[in-house]
Amino acid sequence: MSNKAVLIGEFRKFFKFLIQEMKPRGKWLTPFNIISIPIILLGLVILFFRFTKGLGSVTNLSQQFPWGFWIGFDVVTGVAFAGGAYIITFVVYVMRVEKYHSIVRVTVLNGLLAYIFYAGALVLDLGRPWHIINPIIGNSFGYNSVLFLVSWHFLLYMIAEFVEFSPVIAEWAHWEKVRKFVSALTLGAVIFGITLSMLHQSGLGALFLMAKPKIHPLWYSEFIPILFFVSSIFAGLSMIIFEGIISHKVFKDLIGEKSHYSYEEIILGLGKGAAIAMFVYYFFKALIFIHEKQWVLINDFWGYWYLVEVIGFVLIPCFMFAYAVRNRSIGIIKIASVLALIGIILNRLNISVIAFNWDVANKYYPSWQEIVVTLMVVFSEIWAFRWIATRMPVFSKEN
Amino acid sequence: MEFYYYVNIFETKGLEYLLLICFLVLFILMVRYISTSDKKKS
Repeated sequence: MSNKAVLIGEFRKFFKFLIQEMKPRGKWLTPFNIISIPIILLGLVILFFRFTKGLGSVTNLSQQFPWGFWIGFDVVTGVAFAGGAYIITFVVYVMRVEKYHSIVRVTVLNGLLAYIFYAGALVLDLGRPWHIINPIIGNSFGYNSVLFLVSWHFLLYMIAEFVEFSPVIAEWAHWEKVRKFVSALTLGAVIFGITLSMLHQSGLGALFLMAKPKIHPLWYSEFIPILFFVSSIFAGLSMIIFEGIISHKVFKDLIGEKSHYSYEEIILGLGKGAAIAMFVYYFFKALIFIHEKQWVLINDFWGYWYLVEVIGFVLIPCFMFAYAVRNRSIGIIKIASVLALIGIILNRLNISVIAFNWDVANKYYPSWQEIVVTLMVVFSEIWAFRWIATRMPVFSKEN
Repeated sequence: MEFYYYVNIFETKGLEYLLLICFLVLFILMVRYISTSDKKKS
């Protein structure tokens, strides 16, 4: 048999396998499906109008507020939540801490999907979405623009994460030779990915450096890039804890017994990392507060709002993480991770939406369509995650 | 000519130095605090 015939035979076999895998599994009428399907369908209808009639037809964006909820939540917050992937891969592949090996695959999958869906949501927010390719193909590169860095980094990081995840795909498709080849690339992809991640997490903050007159002085600082990077560490760790809690309930049949056993130790380790990162972040905030003499701004609505964010959703969860780790309380770690995630959402939305153009008369509020499309993006990501997790060897049975 | 008062904690950035020293001390204490759980376990 010729090579061509073998190749066609293999392709047919894989195609049949893919069709088989596409068939839905499990119950259809679950609470998540009942809520998410109508929202995804409604979101698609809204997107049809967005792409045919323009941004103004479905959003409250204007020349004064060109960046709204889609950028603030989907892109800026979503990318911070995806930070867990570069931290865990660094800890496992570079520091060789084997304790976290069992969560590498699921964390990388979460990171990859977060970038595809949340960073991909950038297309929705561009007035001329077909221009998204410009920084890549060299049609006015704009070397001096932070967006140039961010767009290239997003693209390269998605490729690096795909390479990191590809051994799982090869294992699923029973491509042994491909699996061996892509496994050999993992360490290189991890190191490349960590470098990219550190730079674009801070790069997202650097986007706001040019908006100094528009951002409330309590949130603006020339150190925004460093704050974004440090906060992405505990955002990522908190997200892994939060997702771990849900995965352990939803996918309990897919997780090996040993993984169940080490689950508590992993959560405690992640909680410890989050506590330390939040402590460092809080002192950065305090240092900037004193350096900029911001205490004169604290005695009004914006000052109190700032304190809610920094004390309520950074300092308190930081202490909760520390207390929970010392006393080995998984319950408190779960609550602290949720508070930390709310804190990150508040921080990113404060900088990009709430305290942005804080002194103008007509403020921006997201339209209901913007909120529905954001929910659609989140639910679509969960659907994709569920599909992959129930078919590919994401949760290791042995580990 | 501008005068510089070395006793002024704001102008000399003394407050920032103090905060940094506090941070370093508290950081060590915090790491020791959360590391006790490992000893407890073993």
